[in-house]
Amino acid sequence: MTRMAVLTLLAVLPAGGAAQRGDWPMPAKDYAATRYSDLSEITGANAGRLRPVWSFSTGVLGGHEGQPLVVEHTMYVVTPYPNVLYAFDLTREGYPLKWKYRPAVDPNATGIACCDAINRGAFYAEGKIVYNLLDGHTVAVAAATGQELWKTRIADLSQGETTPVAPLVVKHRVIVGASGGEFGIHGWLKGLDLETGRIVWTAYNVGPDSEVLAKPRIFKPFYDRGAELGLTSWPADVWKNGGAPVWGWMSYDPDLDLLYYGTGNPAPYNPEQRAGDNKWTASVLARRPEDGTLVWAYQFTPHDGWDYDAASEMILADLVVGGRPRKVLVHFDKNGFAYTMDRATGEVLVAQPFVDVNWAKRVDVATGRPVVDSTKLTGASRGNVKHVCPTLEGGKSPASPAAYSPRTGLFYLATNNMCMDYQATRATRIAGTPFIGANTPYHAGRGGYLGAFIAWDAGVGKKVWQTTEPFPVWSGAVVTAGDVVFYGTLDGWFKAADARTGKVLWRFKVGSGVVGNPITFTGADGRQYVAVYAGIGGDWFLLSGDVRSDDPADVRPPADFMPDIARHTSQGGIVWIFAL
Amino acid sequence: MDLRPLILALVVSAACGGHDAAPAMGHEARVFAGGVIPPAGGPQVSGNPFRGDRQSAAEGERTFGVMNCDGCHGGGAVGWVGPSLRDGRWRYGGSDGEIFQSIYYGQPHGMPAYGGLLPPGAIWKLVTYLQSLEPPANVPTQSWK
Repeated sequence: MTRMAVLTLLAVLPAGGAAQRGDWPMPAKDYAATRYSDLSEITGANAGRLRPVWSFSTGVLGGHEGQPLVVEHTMYVVTPYPNVLYAFDLTREGYPLKWKYRPAVDPNATGIACCDAINRGAFYAEGKIVYNLLDGHTVAVAAATGQELWKTRIADLSQGETTPVAPLVVKHRVIVGASGGEFGIHGWLKGLDLETGRIVWTAYNVGPDSEVLAKPRIFKPFYDRGAELGLTSWPADVWKNGGAPVWGWMSYDPDLDLLYYGTGNPAPYNPEQRAGDNKWTASVLARRPEDGTLVWAYQFTPHDGWDYDAASEMILADLVVGGRPRKVLVHFDKNGFAYTMDRATGEVLVAQPFVDVNWAKRVDVATGRPVVDSTKLTGASRGNVKHVCPTLEGGKSPASPAAYSPRTGLFYLATNNMCMDYQATRATRIAGTPFIGANTPYHAGRGGYLGAFIAWDAGVGKKVWQTTEPFPVWSGAVVTAGDVVFYGTLDGWFKAADARTGKVLWRFKVGSGVVGNPITFTGADGRQYVAVYAGIGGDWFLLSGDVRSDDPADVRPPADFMPDIARHTSQGGIVWIFAL
Repeated sequence: MDLRPLILALVVSAACGGHDAAPAMGHEARVFAGGVIPPAGGPQVSGNPFRGDRQSAAEGERTFGVMNCDGCHGGGAVGWVGPSLRDGRWRYGGSDGEIFQSIYYGQPHGMPAYGGLLPPGAIWKLVTYLQSLEPPANVPTQSWK
């Protein structure tokens, strides 16, 4: 690791926080969203000796997405609905609880959340644990005592808004968004005051410039010109229920003072109900965290007709691209292309497919637009469009964030090898009910396997290695200075692999499918530990068919595209810690 | 949008009789489809006027899509984020009247109340559709080789 890289990592620890090297204070460990740790006790030579040292049942069945936090030898775990927050004392034998916080959460949220009652985790800042409850509230809890400090209503369940997203805290701003691309919400990002929870600003992702916070001379998208783009790229009034939810991950560049996040799909899935590009759905937006001002935006999938949310993380790295050192943002989109962009301007430098893609032939970096295959265009008048790759689960799911190692220069990510048929139908917006309008069955892609874990060179846009998996891969990744990368599988294996070759060095069956994101931290004894959740869910609560066992009144047939998944896993909710 | 034309189109008949009292709203709050609260007093619920009628089941299937039921319960009601409605198992009772009540008044955990949007006749056709579905063959035992 270079000295510059060390300085960069130190620079992105939360301002004023007590987090130390070896802690994991925010969802992606750092503001650059690298999920890279400079811990190096676990290496390729010894990873085969990893063993479980502790586990804890959260008491909740359901998709355990997100990741724990570790700050000053306390581990914080947020469960799926009902969003219990546990604080474990890592200095004591058996890691007993210091406290737990049980918020009152409206149970109706579980039926308004499109895709299981998941939570993507908390953020530590200024002695507070800040996270979102599923029913549209943000809470701040005292890290030392578990006392609730404030609770703010940020979203409206009756309009289809739910809030599984993990906040990002920049200085004194808590940045939050809402899900609901399947319920026809009017997507937004909000900035709250860290001390009081007061909503300071609201920035919509579609609509008039005054609501999008796009100001003349400040907002400069690289490829687009003109004002009111969030209105003129829509039919009249349709944007008001046009989606653009915020349910993925956020990152922040302190030098440029830019906050980056991706927006989800336009609503409904039937594109014929919303002529135009539908800006800024399926886009990356760069804003000032202090007041939400929009600085640039780029739309990955104009007029999306395949549910290609752009909610995946925007990883900030310094790479050599075309022979020049560039400050880039790297994004693996649901649409199957990996984008390497200039993060100051929004210019696309490299855009190459990281999985099989057939909805577009390529991305034209001169115009920034995909060259769409017209035979894959969807809509209610076009009937059942067969074999579109990738599926709406994404070439990579935003639910499973990638990791970047400055040592290897590679990005590590879980991918899906699936294609879909897409039959759009006309949908009617009825507040509080789904607003979708498509039936989209899946099938395995080329090669017959459903997923793979891969390493990607974002400087040139090329896959370096891949390990195929029988099922879709839906876990996040963490990579370390020991050149070991960790990920989990849907059938319940947690794996350590050599970051340079992909060779699997060790694996352990964790009791339920992994859809969470592993972390690594330094324990009270100075040793390196690795933690991960087990608990299949998220989209797989909907799609796995028969993995459910907790409700005698809900018995489902196996998923037609992966009939064997329930042979290997059922629902669960376990926190695991491993060490040498 | 104005939903009235849609609802009118869904209703062919709303014949109902009997004098069973509607249950009080549960203590857990419901979501109201379209934000419309079911009328006070509720409908008179006795028997399903369309029981076993294939044409009514087909109309109910169409309503299941138009009113976005499939968005939570899945196409064919096989289960999605909401439970399966074709497995022969019911959280809140599987008689015609009990299914009617679940649709009209909603249920906890996000099942919207449709009684403010749909007239009783359209709800009875939804009930008729759901009762027409055959449980899959693998209930309750699944085995692997």
